Amino acid sequence: MSENSRMDENDNDKKEVSQEKMFTLKKWNAVAMWSWDVECDTCAICRVQVMDACLRCQAESKKDFYGKQDCVVVWGECNHSFHYCCMSLWVKQNNRCPLCQQEWSIQRMGK
Amino acid sequence: MITLAQRLKKQQEESSNGHNRISIRDRLLVKESQELAQLLPPNCTVEYENENDLSNFTLIIKPTEGYWENGIFKFSIYVTDEYNMVPPKVKCLTKLWHPNISETGEICLSLLRQHSMDGLGWSPTRRLKDVVWGLHALFTDLLNFEDPLNIEAADMYKHSKLEFQIKVEEYVKLFAKN
Ligand SMILES: [Zn+2]
Ligand SMILES: [Zn+2]
Ligand SMILES: [Zn+2]
Repeated sequence: MSENSRMDENDNDKKEVSQEKMFTLKKWNAVAMWSWDVECDTCAICRVQVMDACLRCQAESKKDFYGKQDCVVVWGECNHSFHYCCMSLWVKQNNRCPLCQQEWSIQRMGK
Repeated sequence: MITLAQRLKKQQEESSNGHNRISIRDRLLVKESQELAQLLPPNCTVEYENENDLSNFTLIIKPTEGYWENGIFKFSIYVTDEYNMVPPKVKCLTKLWHPNISETGEICLSLLRQHSMDGLGWSPTRRLKDVVWGLHALFTDLLNFEDPLNIEAADMYKHSKLEFQIKVEEYVKLFAKN
């Protein structure tokens, strides 16, 4: 019983996403776009919404020098998105997407 | 003059390096400790030595079935300043006979590996609850003995389950009762 609940716990996110995708593929595009946005909402590294400044930038009191605009979003070829700040720290030790384990390469950056 | 300049420089360095990183860890810990408390496996408890320091705690696992049944196994978990870019440091404080835990307390658990290319190692998407469930599974899963830390224990398990069981119980009696 404990084993099952553990597996459910860990796989929950992935399962939901894939089920949603399979479902939306049969439907029309607007639904897919919507589920897409939900999936990318939160940075899986610092757990803050990607459209907000990352946890690190929020904690730093350097806003006076650089402004808040510094903290941009980065999308990988795998279509996962993170704060650029968060991802650049992670790729220093492992150049893979923490969500899908694919080799990380940047597709685009911005807000 | 010099000492004042040095002191200011030092303060600046502290606030741009150490200080901020610690606060990132602490911010993550506030959320994760609550989550952990809610999703703790059955038969597990968490004890904080200092309630104001969430980065240092003891996990106590009391298996109710399997080879280590009725033992009390303590693990120290230390969440370093670099969290969540690096996994917590975990040590087993209770001596036990286990293929994946050495007699000196090192633990072989894939998600605690910092540099791993197979996707099973540490990743910043993992949380404290994943670490705790992973440790908990060391007492229920008996599948992953290919990369053992205690080779003698792994061999024994492979060749004689009975001998293994006896040795485990002997260790539990000696070291894992309170
Ligand atoms: Zn982030
Ligand atoms: Zn940032
Ligand atoms: Zn990805």
